[in-house]
Amino acid sequence: MKQLLSGLILLVWAGLSSCSTPPANTSPSTVRIRWARDPDNLDPLIVSNLSAYETINLLHCSLLQGNDSTLSYVPWLAESLPTTRVVNDSLLHITYRIRPEATWDNGSPILARDVAFTLKVMNCPGLPIELAQAQFGFIRDIILDPQDSRRFTLLCTQQEVGSSGDYSILPEYALDPRGTLRPISLEHLRTQKPPSVVAEFARRYEALELARHPERLPGCGPYRLVKWQSGRALTLERKPNWWADKLPAPPPPLQAFPARLSFQIIPDAATATLALRRGELDLYSLMPAGEFTRLQHSPTDSARLRFYTTDSYQFLTASFNVRHPALHDRLTRQALTHLFNIPALIQASQQGAAYPSVGLISPRLRQYYNDSLPLPDFSPATALKLLQQAGWQRQTNGSWQRRDATGRLTPLAVQVAYRAGEPSFETAALQFRGAAAALGVAVELQPTESSLLNRQQEAGNIDMLISNLSGNPFLYNFTSLLHSSSVGVSNFTGFATPESDRLIEEIALTRNSSRKAVLLRKFQRLLATERPFSVLYFLKYRVAAARALGPIPVTGIKPGYEAARIRPLPLH
Amino acid sequence: MPGRSLLRYVARTAIAGWLTVSSLFLISRAYTDSAAFLRSSLENSSRPLPAARRARLTQQLLQRYGLDVPLFYITPDSATTWRPSWRWNGVRNQYHRWLTRAVQGDLGTSYRDGSPVTELLARSLLYTLPLTVLAAVCSIGLTWGIVVWMNVRPSWRSMGLLSLHGLQAAPLFLTATTLLLLLANPDVLAWFPAFGLGLEDLEASWWQQPGRLLYFLVLPTLSLVLVTLPGLAVQLDGALQQELHRPYIATARAKGSSVSRVVWHHGLRNALLPTLALLTELLPNLVAGSTVVELLFALPGMGRLLAESAATQDYPVLIGAIGLVALVRLLAQVVADILYWVVDPRIRVQV
Repeated sequence: MKQLLSGLILLVWAGLSSCSTPPANTSPSTVRIRWARDPDNLDPLIVSNLSAYETINLLHCSLLQGNDSTLSYVPWLAESLPTTRVVNDSLLHITYRIRPEATWDNGSPILARDVAFTLKVMNCPGLPIELAQAQFGFIRDIILDPQDSRRFTLLCTQQEVGSSGDYSILPEYALDPRGTLRPISLEHLRTQKPPSVVAEFARRYEALELARHPERLPGCGPYRLVKWQSGRALTLERKPNWWADKLPAPPPPLQAFPARLSFQIIPDAATATLALRRGELDLYSLMPAGEFTRLQHSPTDSARLRFYTTDSYQFLTASFNVRHPALHDRLTRQALTHLFNIPALIQASQQGAAYPSVGLISPRLRQYYNDSLPLPDFSPATALKLLQQAGWQRQTNGSWQRRDATGRLTPLAVQVAYRAGEPSFETAALQFRGAAAALGVAVELQPTESSLLNRQQEAGNIDMLISNLSGNPFLYNFTSLLHSSSVGVSNFTGFATPESDRLIEEIALTRNSSRKAVLLRKFQRLLATERPFSVLYFLKYRVAAARALGPIPVTGIKPGYEAARIRPLPLH
Repeated sequence: MPGRSLLRYVARTAIAGWLTVSSLFLISRAYTDSAAFLRSSLENSSRPLPAARRARLTQQLLQRYGLDVPLFYITPDSATTWRPSWRWNGVRNQYHRWLTRAVQGDLGTSYRDGSPVTELLARSLLYTLPLTVLAAVCSIGLTWGIVVWMNVRPSWRSMGLLSLHGLQAAPLFLTATTLLLLLANPDVLAWFPAFGLGLEDLEASWWQQPGRLLYFLVLPTLSLVLVTLPGLAVQLDGALQQELHRPYIATARAKGSSVSRVVWHHGLRNALLPTLALLTELLPNLVAGSTVVELLFALPGMGRLLAESAATQDYPVLIGAIGLVALVRLLAQVVADILYWVVDPRIRVQV
C-alpha cells in the first residue's frame, strides 16, 4: 500500500514538475487565438455564431469574398467578378467561371456542377436548411454551360450580385458520389414533391452529423480540422498541398500562411488577458478598451505585444419608439439626441477609441458618407428650445407636459431599455439620464435580459433602446431596419414614411455606385431630420498580438483579423 | 414490513422526481417565448431578412424543433376569453413527446448544435466531476483536520473561527479572481496556468497526465475549497463544542483519556450528525459544477453548460441539466437518510 502511494506521489510530482513553467508558444508555425465562445455547430449550412463563421471560411471557400480593404466583393473560387445581364425588373442573370486551378483534396477539379449541387443541398427537403433557404432563396435556378464545365449562370430575383456567391461550395464527390441529385433540377426541388432519392440523400447527409463532425466533409479551403474539444479548443492544420499554392501570386483571399491555427475558448476577458500576457495566447481580438489601454501603457507588455485598432462597421445607437405619444414628433427626438455627450461617452466607455458619425453610414465609407451633415452635439440649451418648439411646456415642478390631439395631457417621461450587463450601454443610459434630469425630463432606466428585451421590442413596449447595430460595406439594404414592411418584426422604431420606403427600395436596387451615393446621402439627411434613432459612435476593434506573429492583417469586419493571412516571423 | 416500507420510500422519491422534472419542463416552456432562441440566431445572421421571409422561417424552425404543437394535454382556449374553457389536445403535445422520449433515456437534442442532450451532459460531467470531486474531498478532509486541530488546541480556536468567518464572507467570484490575479499573474506570481486543462499541442506522456491535470486544477479546486470549507468547518465545530460539554465527555476525561482521544473517538462521531445534511448537500453541487469557476478558468463543465444554455434559450439542455441536478438532490436526501441511520441506528425515517 505504501509503495502504491509513493508511486502515485512520484507520478503526480513528475507531472507537476513537467508543467511548472508557463507553456509559452515556442513554435512560430502555430498561432493561438482567443475565442470567447465555442462554434457550437460547424455544418456549413448552419452558421450560427462568429467562431463558426471564421472556421467555415478556413475550411471551405465561396465564389466571392467580402473584402474590407476594397470595400467590395472580390473573387475567391470564382476566376473573376461575375458578369450580369438584367432580364427584367425581377430577374437577373449572373454568370461565373470557377478558377481552373481550383481542385478538391482528391485532386478532382471544382466544377460548376459542384455549385449546382450546393444549391440543391440548400434546397433539399428534410435537411436543416431553412436559414440558408431564406438567405439564398433568391437564386431561383442554375444553368450549366454545356461548353465549359466551370462556367454557369445563376438566375436571381434579387439585384444584389455579391450575395449570389457568398456561401461555401460543397464537394459533390464526397457527399453524393453517385450523383443522385444531378438529374433533379433546382426548380423541381423548390417547387415540387421531390423523388425518393432526395429523401435518401437527406438521410445520408444527416447521418454524417456535420454539426459535430466537420472533418467528414472535405472542403476546398486551406485548412483541415485536426481536433475540436467542444468548449475548450479547436485546432486547424494547413493542407500541405492546397490547390491555391500552385498560383504564382495568390491574391489575398487565397493566401494562407500559418501551419496550425489553434483557437482557445476563454469566455472571461480578464483570464484571456492574463493568458495573452503569459504567452499562452498569441492573439486576442475585440479586447475590452480598459484592458487594451492598460497593456499598451505597460512597458513589459508593449515590448512583447503589438496593438492594433481598426474602424469597424458596428455602432452604438439610441433608438426611439416613434409610436410612443411623447416621441412621435421629430422635434422631441432631435431634442433628446442633444442630451448625449458623445465625445465624453467615447472617452468613458471606449477610452477614446471610437468615432462619431452623422448616421448609419460609417465615415470610413467616404463615397457614401454624408459629410455635409453636422455631427450631433451635446447642447441642453438647444434641447430646451426644441422641446418648446415641439409644444412641451415646463411645469412649476420642473417637469414637462403637452396636450395631444385629443386634449389629454402627456408627460415627457421615457423609459430607456438596454441589454443588462453591457457596460457601454449602461454608461450611455446613465449619462443620458443625468443630462435629462438636469432639464427636467424624467428618464427611467430598464436593464433587461436579452430575450425579454427582444420580446418587448417586438411588442413595441420599449420607449428608447440603447443597443449595438452592425453593418458591412458590401450590402446597403435597410429594409429590415427601417422599412414599413418590417414594422413589428425587425423595424422596432416603428418609423416608416412613404419617402423613406421609396429611398430604401431604390438603394437596394441600384447597382450604379454614384447613383447609390446620391441616394444614401439623401437617406442619411432624412434620418438626421427624422431621428428614428441616433448613432452615438462607431466602434473600433482592438487587437493585441505577440510581436512574433509579425504585422497582423486587421479588418473592420468581425473577428477583426484575417487568421489565414497572419505571417509568423521566423525564430532567430 | 421493511420491504414494503422501502418500496413506498422508493416510490415516493420517484414520484417526487417525476413531479420536479415535469414542473420544470412545463413552467420553463409555459412562461418563456419558444421562438426566443430563433430570434437571437436570426439576429446573428449576417444577412437581414425581409419581414415575410423571416416570419415564414420562424414558423419552419418552430416546426423543426417540435414547438409548433400545444404544450400540454389540455391548454386554455384563447378563442373564448369571456369564460374560462379548456381544450383537449390529445397526445400531440410537447410534454407527451418529451416524456415518452425521456422515459427511453432520450432528453432531446440541443437547439444550438443538434447534439443529444445526454451526450452534452456526459461531456460536461467529464470536466466537472474531477474538479468538484477533488474539491469536495479536499474540503471534507480539511474540515476534519481543522476542526480537530481547533478543538485539540483551544487557544487557536478563536483565531481559526475568525479566519473561517472571514473566508465565508468572500463570494466565490472574488475568491477565484483573487487567486487568479495572485497566482497566475506575471506581475505577481505566475505559478499556475491561467485557464483550461493544457494546450493540446503540448503533448504529455501518460505518466505526466495525472500531475498535469492536477496542476491545471489547482486554482479552480482551491477556489471551490475556500468557499466550501468555512460552512462545513464552522458547523462541525459548533456541533463538536456542544458534544464536548456533555457529561459523557467529562466521564471519558475523568477516566484519563487525552483531549485528542476524546475528540477523535467520542466527540466527532456524535458531532457528525447535524453536519451530515450539509455533507450530502455537496452531492448536487458535484454534478451542477460551478458556473463562476468554470467561466473564469475556461473549463467546459456543467456550470458553464447551464449558464450558456440559459443565455441562449437552449431549453432541452437547460431542462436536462437542471433535471439531473434536481434528481441528484433527491438522491442526496436519500443518502442523508441512510447515513443518519448508519451513524445513529436509533433514528428511523418516517415513511
